[in-house]
Amino acid sequence: MSDPVRLIVDVDRCIGIGQCELLEPEVFELGDEDAISRVAAGATLDRVRALAVVEACPSMAISIEA
Amino acid sequence: MDRPASPADIASPALYLDGIPHEGFADIRETEGLVWHSYGPAGDEHADGGFWAVTRHADVREVSRCPELFSSAIGHTNLWDLEADALEARRSLIDSDAPDHTRLRRVVSRAFTPKNTRAWEGMARDIAAELIEDFVSAGGGDWVEQVAAPLPIRVILAILGVPLEDADHLVELTNHLVEGTGDGSSLPDDAYGNTTPTRLLPFNSPASHALFEYAEKMRLLRLAEPGDDLVTALLEAEADGERLSASEYRNFFQLLVFAGNETTRTAMIHGAMAFAEHPDQWAALRDDPTLIAGAVDEVIRWATPILHMRRTATADTELAGTPIAEGDKVVMWYAGANRDPEVFADPFRFDITRTDNPHFAFGGGGPHFCLGAFLARMEIQVLFEEMASRGVVLESRTPPVRLASNFVHGVGSLDLAVAADGGA
Repeated sequence: MSDPVRLIVDVDRCIGIGQCELLEPEVFELGDEDAISRVAAGATLDRVRALAVVEACPSMAISIEA
Repeated sequence: MDRPASPADIASPALYLDGIPHEGFADIRETEGLVWHSYGPAGDEHADGGFWAVTRHADVREVSRCPELFSSAIGHTNLWDLEADALEARRSLIDSDAPDHTRLRRVVSRAFTPKNTRAWEGMARDIAAELIEDFVSAGGGDWVEQVAAPLPIRVILAILGVPLEDADHLVELTNHLVEGTGDGSSLPDDAYGNTTPTRLLPFNSPASHALFEYAEKMRLLRLAEPGDDLVTALLEAEADGERLSASEYRNFFQLLVFAGNETTRTAMIHGAMAFAEHPDQWAALRDDPTLIAGAVDEVIRWATPILHMRRTATADTELAGTPIAEGDKVVMWYAGANRDPEVFADPFRFDITRTDNPHFAFGGGGPHFCLGAFLARMEIQVLFEEMASRGVVLESRTPPVRLASNFVHGVGSLDLAVAADGGA
């Protein structure tokens, strides 16, 4: 994995659609109680896949940590 | 303002009796900028019911992802405007913007997570297997009535906690709702004991009254006797410290029974039809079951069960280089976007091996992305898996009976045969 990056979920924008968990189940999981997406502790993705999941989020709630 | 007129009619419901008017969509996609499509009561020269026809993938995406500019809460999300009181009475998740939408969506998102959907898979697979085995035993028949309609309704009713014996009643009601999107209802306004003016009811249909009554019956039942089901969860759910209002609950129940049923049914119909007409694709899936995920998405792209959703501009703006005025209707035609050759190589080929298939059958992104996308995918997957593992081969007998609707890509009946070697 070249150029691994961390991802951030904006909890005010996330409405629990779950495309992130569909694409990257190792990284994202919706909470049972609130359906808000959480990033697994320490999880990273290579930049290409990270950009794909950022693009796929319908509520534009995911960003790459600067 | 001089608006460029649409080169083709894509809105007359009767067109859809022959299938999606793909040539008309192509003509509009290929016209520079956006085109204004007339729409309104025939013969009424003052009717201002026209809309911007958005048919290219990139443009649908932009409208879908800018809810601040393109509102769901103004006017209506269907082509015709509703009066303010009707819009309020009928308002559901679909006709809401943030912050109301965000609050409601979070309440219900909890029920439709990938994890919950996986928990329902065994139940859905058992229902699919039973329906397929009956269909094979009968040597075929009406795929809609025997498989595609009962499967999603039984699944959504099980999730809601509704008794199975009520399934036929609810299928009948949702069929009547679909009529409300076409040339009108076959029901008298007072059907099912309705006394509400139909303009205040979802789909202008007295069947909505019956669904509301059913929702109320379920509400009282689950308040007295909570269960491990979605109705109980909805009644107990709190959003920002508030329970759903009575109107929010019943509109949402209505939406789930309709959307959790009609759309998935439509995908299963077009999927079966596509596999019957493209036996090489069905053979490929039978030979390699790992193709199922791509096959499900191709079936959904091919089907495009909901043909459009409308938004209303909240300010003067511009799209595809065309100025749009505040208050203009902007209609996202998924039927056009899902055949856009800029995005889909050979878009009219049914190809389950597409690797890049960013279809908009669940919407073009943004906060209104289909709530039931995982559920729909799972149901379609188990249906075709159960068929493939039994070696069932479907064959077309007569052309499908399509619905006169520009909103749902509906098929009323589809006569399919089971091939002689099928089901062996």
